[in-house]
Amino acid sequence: MSVEETEETPEIEAGVTVEDEVLDTLGDTVQTTEEHLNADASVVVRPDQVQDTLSALRDDMGYDHLSCVTAQEYEDRYESIYHMKQYDDPTQEVSVVVPASKDEPISQSAEPVFRTADWHEREAYDLVGINYEDHPDPRRILLPETWQGHPLGQDYDQDSPQIVTLSEWDNPLRDDHVDDEADTMFLNIGPHHPATHGVLHVKTVLDGETVADVDPDIGYLHRCEEQMCQNGTYRHQIMPYPDRWDYVSAGILNEWAYARAAEDLADIEVPEYAQVIRTMSAELCRIAAHMLALGTFALDVFGDFTATFQYAFRDREVIQNILEDLTGQRMMFNYFRLGGVAWDLPEPREEFFEKTRDFLEELPAKLEEYHDLITGNEIFQLRCVDTGILEPEVAKSYGATGPVARASGIDYDLRRDDPYGYYDELDWDVVTEDGCDNFSRVIVRMQEVEESAKIIEQCVDLLEEWPEDDRTIQSNVPRTLKPDADAETYRAVEAAKGELGIYIRSDGTDKPGRFKIRSPCFSNLQTLGEMSEGEYIPDLIASLGSLDIVLGEVDR
Amino acid sequence: MATEQLLPETIRTAVGLPDTVLGQGIAAFVGAFLVGSVMLAYTGVAGPWAKRKITAAFTDRIAANRIGPFGLGTIPADALRLLSKELIIPEDVDRPAYDLGPLIVAGSALLGFAVIPMGGLGPLNIQLADPESGLVYVFAVASIATLGLTMAGYASSNKYSMLGALRAIAQNVAYEIPLVLTGASVVLFTQSLQMSEIVAVQQETLVTIAGVSIPSWFAFVNPFAFALFMIANLAEVGRNPFDIPEAPTEIVAGYQTEYSSVYFVLIYLGEFLHIFLGGAIIATLFLGGAAGPGPESIGFLWFTAKIWGVFLFTQWARSAVPRVRIDQLIEIGWKGMLVLSFANLLLTALLVGVIA
Amino acid sequence: MIGILKSMATTMKHALDGETFTVKYPETPPEVSPRFRGVHKFSQERCIWCRQCENVCPNDTIHIVTDAQRNGEQYNLHIGQCIYCRLCEEVCPVDAILLTQNFEFTGDTKDDLVYNKEQLKSVPWYKDIDPLESREPDRGAWIGEGDGEVDYQ
Repeated sequence: MSVEETEETPEIEAGVTVEDEVLDTLGDTVQTTEEHLNADASVVVRPDQVQDTLSALRDDMGYDHLSCVTAQEYEDRYESIYHMKQYDDPTQEVSVVVPASKDEPISQSAEPVFRTADWHEREAYDLVGINYEDHPDPRRILLPETWQGHPLGQDYDQDSPQIVTLSEWDNPLRDDHVDDEADTMFLNIGPHHPATHGVLHVKTVLDGETVADVDPDIGYLHRCEEQMCQNGTYRHQIMPYPDRWDYVSAGILNEWAYARAAEDLADIEVPEYAQVIRTMSAELCRIAAHMLALGTFALDVFGDFTATFQYAFRDREVIQNILEDLTGQRMMFNYFRLGGVAWDLPEPREEFFEKTRDFLEELPAKLEEYHDLITGNEIFQLRCVDTGILEPEVAKSYGATGPVARASGIDYDLRRDDPYGYYDELDWDVVTEDGCDNFSRVIVRMQEVEESAKIIEQCVDLLEEWPEDDRTIQSNVPRTLKPDADAETYRAVEAAKGELGIYIRSDGTDKPGRFKIRSPCFSNLQTLGEMSEGEYIPDLIASLGSLDIVLGEVDR
Repeated sequence: MATEQLLPETIRTAVGLPDTVLGQGIAAFVGAFLVGSVMLAYTGVAGPWAKRKITAAFTDRIAANRIGPFGLGTIPADALRLLSKELIIPEDVDRPAYDLGPLIVAGSALLGFAVIPMGGLGPLNIQLADPESGLVYVFAVASIATLGLTMAGYASSNKYSMLGALRAIAQNVAYEIPLVLTGASVVLFTQSLQMSEIVAVQQETLVTIAGVSIPSWFAFVNPFAFALFMIANLAEVGRNPFDIPEAPTEIVAGYQTEYSSVYFVLIYLGEFLHIFLGGAIIATLFLGGAAGPGPESIGFLWFTAKIWGVFLFTQWARSAVPRVRIDQLIEIGWKGMLVLSFANLLLTALLVGVIA
Repeated sequence: MIGILKSMATTMKHALDGETFTVKYPETPPEVSPRFRGVHKFSQERCIWCRQCENVCPNDTIHIVTDAQRNGEQYNLHIGQCIYCRLCEEVCPVDAILLTQNFEFTGDTKDDLVYNKEQLKSVPWYKDIDPLESREPDRGAWIGEGDGEVDYQ
């Protein structure tokens, strides 16, 4: 299938396009319009009308999902782009472009309308240098507070050393002891802590054992992934890197995000056979990633290296072996290519199919064992049911996606709602739970494993019967890709943790002008405060585990 | 049943020391040294090796396999490694308390073994002392460990240690009472607090089914009390589902976060000694002490098997049971265990009153 | 309570069946797929010094020095910096650089991991697997020639 299919404007029959409607709703606030490949309408508004625009779009037209905020600097201006979608139908996309002047880059904050804008705008300030008015917490987010300059800005000197005077670093622990009067205790959970799944630092204020306030401090694993992608060529050099965002074996899902955006941008067709292989390998990755999520969550609730964790790893190992046969690597696959995949299935094919089928056959029994081990366990239920509540409305405001959103009853899955690959040809279901709690998030992941298995089985059936002379794994793609200058697109796929979006703006060269990653974990992690404040420390840890964040993807 | 000669007395007569305070003292010291060494040897095997192997078996792994047969050489290697590490003492610790904490944790557990009748080994009867208030003494010294944990946690000048210490106190207070009450229900049967007497009462036959006579171990007489005691004991020794004073994924390592090297070894030893002491109490109160098939001279082996069985049970629970939350723990302790143990005590009292 | 007992029964079942999923490495060397990407092997006989691998490398791991006549002098590859994406092998028109299945390499310092031409040539095959053989069936599909500019030098 082609990636363009999703861009049909559904209102065409009425003779009114979405763009007309948007213009109608927004009235005079719109200054002009732009062309974004993904969006039905891209409107340019004045920097002091961001809140009005976004709330009008949300309240009057149902654009209730602020998927991403991209900031970039042009020769003559700064620009923030608010990528808006609808949770009911993510193919309905509107981009709100907010230019800001070069010498005084001030733009109104969208935080009062969408809570998720909080972190996204902090990141935009941090990396690009746009100041957001009315922002409740205008601090840097990925880089240290003392960083000088904004690395993705145009006049940033990569080579100048970061010299920070000692006085600025004078006793970094001092803040811990400010409030002598209060009865609360400040506690640093992380960056080195057994349960933060990487290097996350949660500044926690405790009232006894109760969590009074949490403030996740991220950026310890910031590796300039966006900048690295901006320095790589579309054709080859970007693809190895998505594996390293969500690095816990969800690599192929991430590669697909880049592949989808770039194929959209450069108008590349993908052969159907390759789409099936892509779908199958991506779902294998999803199972592996969910197994790890399950195992580490058990670790957080059980403590120590418990049986569940090891069993989950054992089962994940099987998938990794299959993926190793297919892609040549266990985690850093680099398997997708623009316009297809790098390799056909390994010869002998029967052996590969058999291996995959064996795994699928054993899976139900293994899942049954997990249910015996964890979800059926009364103490586990005691710990997880009704803790870490995330109400659907709150989740939407924070832009939560993936299993986290689906466990709050939000029926949102890009594989179905904004189909790509071969998903719309296959028979599978989107899993949702209404519990909104830690337990639901675990259940959703376990059931998604079953659904993924269904998808893989159908793909294997298809691949087995695929005619031998029609096994094209790559379409004919130019060796050097140079998409049209100023072509812009924002494309998302359903990665293991949720909606993984890529914004690419081409500047006419063989490298992207701006490459922005919308990480699902980044948005999901923002909800931690909502989930854990007022609960106990163990619940905070469990909630963090149930969010299933990967710091490599949060910090990028 | 006539009280057999205790271990120090045997030593004294064997060596020919005079029956004076000094002679008795020396003999008691030697006896205590021997028993203590055996118990420390058990923990030495349990900590670096058995625990790993058991956990590995539950999680389908191989574990320690490099040094010696079955990886047993890990034990001296680990001991050397732990002892030769640098002893890091953080800046703001409260010095005497910080140093005494680990000693109290390890020492209090060892003290408990003084009155445990460990059965016969050849001609010996391994029991150091047999006071009439033996059971009370065991419960008393076992609870001293909480003091050590509190000192360790409080003196460490670390917030995680502090949280761990507070949790340890809350947990021990909540579960000490059900533990003692359930122990008291056994005393109602035996009419004696003397450990040897408690064991002796359990040697009688309860019922004979098809020629197999089942002894009147209290685990068989009152399984309900046994289950209660096992659960309370898990909390007492701080193992899953009640390992919240340490709770590695929540508060790092609780009260022992700041300890390293020898001090860490002491705390670690103390914990394992406590598990074994818990096992010893359970064996004595509920599993007929050193009783088992075969002659009385191998009773010590049965006793050893029983305390290792209890150790195995703690590890088994650890592999499969999630940790409860602190408030849930307190709730289970005060609203569940306490009520159940009182009910158990009352029922036992009624039964004993009716039968007797 | 039943759930807890079920959990405990499950782990006990695993303890008693005696199966393990970990292996005793290095006594039991792991099976490695034919496509697995390990340390590179370089063939000077084949190399035509076209520098495509150097150009395609995403993080400048390959460093080639040629003289004025474009004859190859040095071929350095930092196997500690390499991300094992296999793009060099993919673009190589003559199979001069291959990723073997060999994953067993160490170095005391980062400098030890900078392999020069000679070291790259002497990298052993892992279990005698020649990756070229195992990957042969797919060679035609490795990379589309495509339209547009070809950036040979």
